[in-house]
Amino acid sequence: MAERVGIVAVAQTKYHPNRADVNEGELVYEAIKQVLDETGLVYADKGKGIDATITCSQDMWDGRTISNLGVMSYVGAHLADEDKVCEDSINALYCAMARILSGHHDIVLVAAHCKESQANKSIVENAAFDPIFLRLLGLDFLAAAAMQATRYMHRYGITAEQCAKVAVKNRGNAKNNPFAQESLNITIEDVLSSVTLASPIRLLDSKPISDGACAMILARESKAKKLASKPVWILGASNCYETHYPGYRELADCDALVKAARKAYSMAGITSPLRQIDVAEISEEYSYQELLWMEGLGLCQRGEAGKLIDAGVTKMGGQLPVNPCGGMLSGKPTVVAGMANVAEAVLQLRGEAGKRQVPKAKVALAHGVTGICGQHQAVIILGRN
Amino acid sequence: MANRVAIVGIGQTFHKSKRPDVNQAEMANEAVRAALTDAQLGSKDIEAVVSSNMEPFEGVYLPDHWMASEMAACGKSGFKVATGGTSGASAVVEAFHLIASGLASTSLVVGFQKHDTGDTQAGMTACMTPVFGSGATTGAISEFANQALVYMEKSGAKEEHAAMVRLKADRGACRNPYAQLKLGLKGVEEILSSGYLEWPIRILDFCPQTCGACALVLASEEIAGKITRKPVWIADTITVHQEPFRAGSFGDPTGLETYSQDVASTKLYKRNGITNPRKDIDMAEIYEPSTWEEMMHYEHYHFCDENEGWKLIEKGITAIEGEFPVNPSGGVLSTNPIGATPVIRVAEAALQIRGDAGEHQVTRDVKTAVATALGGCNWTTMILLRRSL
Amino acid sequence: MEKEPTQEYIQVKIDTPRPYRWSTGKYLGKLYKEARDRKKLVTNRCTKCKELVYPPQMVCGRCKVEAGQDWVEMSDKGTVVQYTYLIFPRWDPHRGEYYSSPYPSATVLLDSGLYLRSRLEEQDTKKLKRGMRVQAVWKEKGRGRGQDDIEYFRTIEELEVGK
Repeated sequence: MAERVGIVAVAQTKYHPNRADVNEGELVYEAIKQVLDETGLVYADKGKGIDATITCSQDMWDGRTISNLGVMSYVGAHLADEDKVCEDSINALYCAMARILSGHHDIVLVAAHCKESQANKSIVENAAFDPIFLRLLGLDFLAAAAMQATRYMHRYGITAEQCAKVAVKNRGNAKNNPFAQESLNITIEDVLSSVTLASPIRLLDSKPISDGACAMILARESKAKKLASKPVWILGASNCYETHYPGYRELADCDALVKAARKAYSMAGITSPLRQIDVAEISEEYSYQELLWMEGLGLCQRGEAGKLIDAGVTKMGGQLPVNPCGGMLSGKPTVVAGMANVAEAVLQLRGEAGKRQVPKAKVALAHGVTGICGQHQAVIILGRN
Repeated sequence: MANRVAIVGIGQTFHKSKRPDVNQAEMANEAVRAALTDAQLGSKDIEAVVSSNMEPFEGVYLPDHWMASEMAACGKSGFKVATGGTSGASAVVEAFHLIASGLASTSLVVGFQKHDTGDTQAGMTACMTPVFGSGATTGAISEFANQALVYMEKSGAKEEHAAMVRLKADRGACRNPYAQLKLGLKGVEEILSSGYLEWPIRILDFCPQTCGACALVLASEEIAGKITRKPVWIADTITVHQEPFRAGSFGDPTGLETYSQDVASTKLYKRNGITNPRKDIDMAEIYEPSTWEEMMHYEHYHFCDENEGWKLIEKGITAIEGEFPVNPSGGVLSTNPIGATPVIRVAEAALQIRGDAGEHQVTRDVKTAVATALGGCNWTTMILLRRSL
Repeated sequence: MEKEPTQEYIQVKIDTPRPYRWSTGKYLGKLYKEARDRKKLVTNRCTKCKELVYPPQMVCGRCKVEAGQDWVEMSDKGTVVQYTYLIFPRWDPHRGEYYSSPYPSATVLLDSGLYLRSRLEEQDTKKLKRGMRVQAVWKEKGRGRGQDDIEYFRTIEELEVGK
C-alpha cells in the first residue's frame, strides 16, 4: 500500500483588514517561520529539509505579474523547486499531495497569501468574467453571488432568516478563534436590518476585506511520523470545474462540488458524511453559500440545508459543527481561505483548537472554492488514524 | 510504486502574431481538439486538466475558468499554474505528478497565450517590485541586452554568431507548419543589416509575441498502451528557481553567479545516467528568448564547455542535420506565446521521438530528448523524454 | 473581377485602470523613507553571508534565513559596468506613460559594492562608455517611490589626485 501524505505543521497569520505594516513576502513569512520552527526543517535538499515549495497567490490580487516573485526569498526558492498554483490554496495542497504520492518528493512546503486590502475587489473580480460577453455587465463576485442566492432561495425555499443564522453562528464562533479577524455577537434581526449590498445579500451576510497568509508542511508517511507527534493524514482529496457562464448553470446546484466531494469521499471511505465527519470547515464568502455548499457536500438532501441549520445540527455542540473557526464571514482572505480551512481541521484533529475544539474529532472536512459562484470547488478529508 | 507517465496526444495551433478570428477560449480549444484527435480520445476520456497562462497579458482573472468548457475541463479535476515563462513546463510537471501519483489516469495539459490582446511589455514590467523604478524596468528586452554584452565580452562571440542562430531558427520555422515567423532569410548579412531593438539586440535577435496554444494528453502506463503505439515517456523533470542576480534579473556582469540552468541540468543528468549530454541525449528543444541566450544555454545546459557555445552554432553542430540538433522547430525565436511556449517545447521534442516532425524531423534518430523552459528571473524547468524507459 | 468580401473581425476594447496600494513593509519601507526624506540609498546587509541584500528584505534569499537589521547607507556614486539603450518607445505601467527613445539604462556598480539598474542622464549614446563615473541625481520634488526617486545617474568628472 502506498505511503499516505501527512500534514506535519500548520500556521496561519491573524487575519486583519489592512496589514499595511508588511509586504506580501513578510506576511507569508510570518506563517512559514512558524512551521519551519515547529518542525526544525530548513530549506535544504538531499533529504534534509524542504524538497519543494508550492506557493499560491493571484497576479491580479497582488498587482504583480508572476506574483510568486514577491515571496521567492521567503519560501526558499533560490536554486530550489517552486511552483505556483492559481486557484484557491486548497488546490496547492492537492498539487503538493500529488508531488509526494508520485514518489518524487518527500517533504513539501505550501504557502499562500493574499492582501485584499491592496487591490480593488470589484475590479479584480470583474476581470474573471469573460471579456467578450459578461465583463461589460459590470458584475463582480458579490453581484453574481446575489444572483445565485436569489435562485437558490427561490428554488428551494431557503429563507433570509436561515441564511442569517449562518452569519450569527459563524460570527459568534469567531470569538473562540485567536486567528479570526473579527467576532460579533449578533442576532438574526441584526443581520436582516444591516444594509443590503446586493439583494438578498446584506452587509452582515458578507465577508469583510481581509489580509492574511497560511503555510503548512506535508510529508510522506514515514517522514511525517518522525516530524510530528500528531501527523494528520489526508484521507481523500479532489477538485472539479464547472462551466463558466452563469446562464448555462443551474445556480441553485453546485455540480462541481458534488463531483469533488464524491471523489474525495470515495478515496476516504466515507459513505455517510453527516455521520462519519466530525467537523467541517467550509468557505462561505456569503452566508447563503454555507447552506448551498453543505448540500453539495451531501450533508443533507438538495434544498434541505435550511432545515439542517434550523435544527442546530451545524452549531457548536451539534451533530456536525460547521466553521467553528468563524468561517470567511469573520475575516479570511480569498485564495488563502481553503488552506486555512485545512489548517483549522488539522488543529481540530490534533486536539489543539482551544475554545473552538470539537470534542473527540477524528475525521474532518475542509473545503475551498474559487471563481464565480463557486465555479471551481475542492474538498479534502483529513483524519488522525 | 509510482505510475509511469507518457505523452499520448499532441496538438498545437498554427501560431500567428495576431488571431483576430478567434477569442482566447476558442484558440485554446483548437489546440485541445488537435491533441484529442491525435490521441483519438474524446473529452470524456480526460480526467484532469492542468493549464498554464500568464493572466496580466490578456487582463483576464482566472482564464482557465472562462475556458473550462473549451478546455474539456467541465466536470473534471484540475487547476492552473503560472510561473512566468516556465508556466507551461510547470503545467506538464504538475500533470505528470497527478498521473504518477494515481490521482488521475489521464490529463490534458493546455498552455495558451494571446499576445495581441494587451501590452506585453507593460505586462512584463509589472513583474518587478515598484521599488526598482522605471529606470531599471525596461522589460525583459533590456535584461537580455545586458546579458548579450556580457557574453560577447566573456566568450568572444560576435554579432555574426547571433545572426547564425537566427538563421538556424528561421530554417527550422520554414519547415514547421505551426511556427509563426517564417522569414525566409538568405544569410547572415541580411540579418546583420537589420535594425537594433535595444543595442546590441536586433529585432531579429529576439522572440516575437505570438498568439498560440499547445495541448498534450498525458496518460498512465496502463492506459497509454491502449491509446497509442508511440507513447513518449516522461522520464524525469526538474525545476530550479532563482533569486534575481545581484546585478539584474537575467544578466550577470559579476561572473560570480550560479545559473539555475547549471544546477538543473547537473542534477537531471546525474540521476538519469547522462554523462555526455551531446551523446546520451539526441536532441533538445530549449527555451531561448534571444539568439544570445541560445548560445549561453548551450553552455549552461552542459552541451559544451564554458565560452564555447558560439562555436557549436558556427560549426553547425546544432542544426537539423547536425550532430546535436537544437530547436529544429524554429524554437522560441520563431514562436512565443508565453503561456504555451514550454508546452510547445515538450510537444516538439515528443514529435521528434515519435518521428512525426515532418519536414523538420532531425536526421539523427531521437530516442532521448530534453525540453527546457525559462522564466521569471532566470528560472529553469527541464523535462526529459524517452522513447522507452 | 469581384473583390472577395473582407471579413470584419469585431473586437471588444476595454481599458480598465487597476488601482493598487502596495505595502512596502518594514524593510522596503525604510528604503523609501530614507530616499524620500534624506535622498539617501540604504539597504541591509545579511548578517550571515555579509552580502548587501537589495532591495532590502527581511529574509536573505540566498541564505534563506532572516537577514537581520544591519543597515548600510550607500554611496550614490558609482561606475557604469554596462549600459544599453532602448530604441522603441516603451509603456511604463507603474507610471502610466510612455518613455521617449532612445533612452539609456545602465548597470551601475555603486562604490558601496551594490549593483543598481538605473537610467543615465547622458542621452548621446556615443558618449556612453563602460567605466564612466556617475553620480545619482535625486528628484527635487515628488519623491516617495523608493529607488525611483533617483532621476538618473549623471556622468561626473573626478579630479585626478595629485594634479
